[in-house]
Amino acid sequence: MVPVAHPAPEPWAAGCPGSRLAKGRWGGLGTFPVNYSSRDMPKQYRFLLNKDLLWVQFSGFHTDLHHHKDNSLISISDEPDTLYRKLSVLVKGHDKTVLDSYEYFAVLAAKELGISIEKIHEPPRKIERFTLLKSIHIFKKHRVQYEMRTHYRCLELKHLTGSTADVYLEYIQRNLPEGVAMEIKKTKLEKLPEHIQKPIWDKLPSVEETATGALETGH
Amino acid sequence: MGVILQNRAARVRVGKGDKPVTYEQAHPPHYIAHRKGWLSLHTSNLDGEGGAAERTVEDVFIRKFIYGTFHGCLANEIVLKRRANVLVVCAVFLQRLPPYKFYFLVGYTETLLSFLYKCPVRLEVQTVPEKVIYKYL
Repeated sequence: MVPVAHPAPEPWAAGCPGSRLAKGRWGGLGTFPVNYSSRDMPKQYRFLLNKDLLWVQFSGFHTDLHHHKDNSLISISDEPDTLYRKLSVLVKGHDKTVLDSYEYFAVLAAKELGISIEKIHEPPRKIERFTLLKSIHIFKKHRVQYEMRTHYRCLELKHLTGSTADVYLEYIQRNLPEGVAMEIKKTKLEKLPEHIQKPIWDKLPSVEETATGALETGH
Repeated sequence: MGVILQNRAARVRVGKGDKPVTYEQAHPPHYIAHRKGWLSLHTSNLDGEGGAAERTVEDVFIRKFIYGTFHGCLANEIVLKRRANVLVVCAVFLQRLPPYKFYFLVGYTETLLSFLYKCPVRLEVQTVPEKVIYKYL
């Protein structure tokens, strides 16, 4: 029995400007949950975007409309959770400072969730250069050179469970800055299948004799 | 090398000292990533990523569209950001129209572009009384 946390649904399904809905999940005394669209939320609270509710104090109000104990975000299933030996997150971008700040954010998030970080390293940058003619007609000797620089940053995490990995990756990906791409490699730990668990030479001695017998007759 | 063919790309030529120029216009392109940022942020120009041509065409269309819809109101170039299917258009406008007209045009642009590109489009708008002048050339 392992609880599996499902990620919150996408808040940006429609591009309408004023999507500010107070979805009615009235809590206990005096709190009023408000679902802000990401644009209206003040900057310092943007990190709460992935959570469904932002609780606001509202004095002297008591309602009993909806029983909020049945939290639909967490579900429990019987099958065992998948285990990952290593989770490698590679981010690429054009700007090194953006990758620096994103790495700080990802490391902070991992520490908060209690995920052990194996190492953080920076693979060397790749520059793609090409040379074009400067003018639209003739002047072959005068060219223009352009280049595109890609910087990398690799974050390796170890010993994660499937649900932790899902939650962490969801959070990381929701907050990917623009102009930055990410690649994920997961190393899964699987249980050895039953037919390989014990070596074959312990059982079935009769198979060997018939094999040698067959060899002699064939030869 | 020669005095004839010098670089003229994205450079405002020096004049008498009466030409007002914004920060974006004043810096030539070799200052991008040093003193300037990018105007259009997407991942298709990275190593091993595709779709650069489509994004560029979309960018050009959106710039022309907004230049036309808010005619004479743009203070600076538009910054386009793409974050996982959402297109965020950041623009700085001059206060040449009354606010209710701005709100209408913003909503109109957002809905039209969302239907056109099949993705949520958000317009982040800031207004400024006059163009922000960096220096006079």
